[in-house]
Amino acid sequence: MPSASARHLRALTPRTLLVMALILAFGVATINSLSALPVVVLMAVTAVLVSGQAYLVLRRLRGAALLALAVLLALSLVSGQTVLAQFGPVAFRLEGFQVGALIAVRLVSIVALTLALLTPLSPFQLVGALRGLGVPALMADLALLTLRYLDEVGTELRRAHLARRLRAGRMGWRALPDYAGLLATSLIRAQARAERLWAAMRLRGYDTGLAMPVAPLRALDWLAMSAALAAALAVVWLDRVL
Amino acid sequence: MHLPDGIVPIEMALAGYGASAAITALALSRIKSMSDPQAEIPRVAMMTTVFFAASLVAIPVPPTSVHLMLAGLMGVMLGWFCVPAILVGLFLQAVLFGHGGITTLGLNGLILGLPALISFGIWRTAAQRWPDIAAFCAGSLAVVTALVIFAAIVLAGLPVTLDASAERVALGVFLLAHLPLAVAEGVIVMTLLRMLRRVEPRLVPHA
Repeated sequence: MPSASARHLRALTPRTLLVMALILAFGVATINSLSALPVVVLMAVTAVLVSGQAYLVLRRLRGAALLALAVLLALSLVSGQTVLAQFGPVAFRLEGFQVGALIAVRLVSIVALTLALLTPLSPFQLVGALRGLGVPALMADLALLTLRYLDEVGTELRRAHLARRLRAGRMGWRALPDYAGLLATSLIRAQARAERLWAAMRLRGYDTGLAMPVAPLRALDWLAMSAALAAALAVVWLDRVL
Repeated sequence: MHLPDGIVPIEMALAGYGASAAITALALSRIKSMSDPQAEIPRVAMMTTVFFAASLVAIPVPPTSVHLMLAGLMGVMLGWFCVPAILVGLFLQAVLFGHGGITTLGLNGLILGLPALISFGIWRTAAQRWPDIAAFCAGSLAVVTALVIFAAIVLAGLPVTLDASAERVALGVFLLAHLPLAVAEGVIVMTLLRMLRRVEPRLVPHA
């Protein structure tokens, strides 16, 4: 059962959620001072909790968190003069750590905010939102059809790789032509599938695009976008004054 | 090779959006001038799906395993359609899987889109006379160009307080580590286009 805040979030149109994600992401990207970081972290944590899908968001956040950790470690090790801690020949430096922390927190917060706001949307709603923001119909249709067939093509490719390994295919550099062969087979199949799909689309009267019609914005949507803008401006202001 | 969120200043991220929008507008105007661009949408979508799925599979390139970029192959096979196709792929990766970045979408579009267009140009110019050489160059130069653009953006975007020499060394190591990928992609694109020219030539434009 979703919480009241999660229900409010789901009541917003997909277009509103996408605009909010962009506003907040760009707001966080402006941060340049370490003292504003706790505010950004608080905002990201709140968004994840309010989304009502915290577990799913955190699971998808793992890659970004690992990358952020790698950036933090790399910059702490290679850049700066002031030694924070020394372990044999390895020294962690303050200046590198500060820049690394800034980049790492910005990265994880932006990804968390984006996922928290957009994870509840289906791919179809997401593409509808893009269309509502003025993205050309050609690109919206490309996105829809790509998403529609991604699972199928991905499974096909993984099956082909497994079959190659079971046949004890060549290894290392000599295996590259085999991979080219797998890819060529997939492209030929994709062409055949595309021809069937185009015939079906024409039969159904394809004309002005596949994305769903855009829902009009209501008072709640304008309120939510204004709140996101206010939060982003507050972050920018705090970054300047702190 | 994706530039994540939060790594470059906001001014660069916005400039990336502007530059990507300009290239996309150019590509879309070329696409609109084609005889029946709508009929191409299913083919382009299917190809994009294959490239997207193939780039998720790790293949062994000794001494390690890598994910293919395939920007060069997209340029060769999709022509001007490669720009919207790459942007669509990057957007879906950013919002559905958290890979890449939503603020760096424009810059990532440039990192992959420009090399794809260069490969398209190489293939269109040289495919008739030297198809194998053109295919190898299209595949490997796309990786090298993407690496150079990526490194230039990172160098320009990191704070000036950082040790510049350490930054350059780290980026140098990064570029060298990716050179086997450039060779691997060159070999794969050359072999693949040779097969397609023989088996399904209508899939290979300008050949």
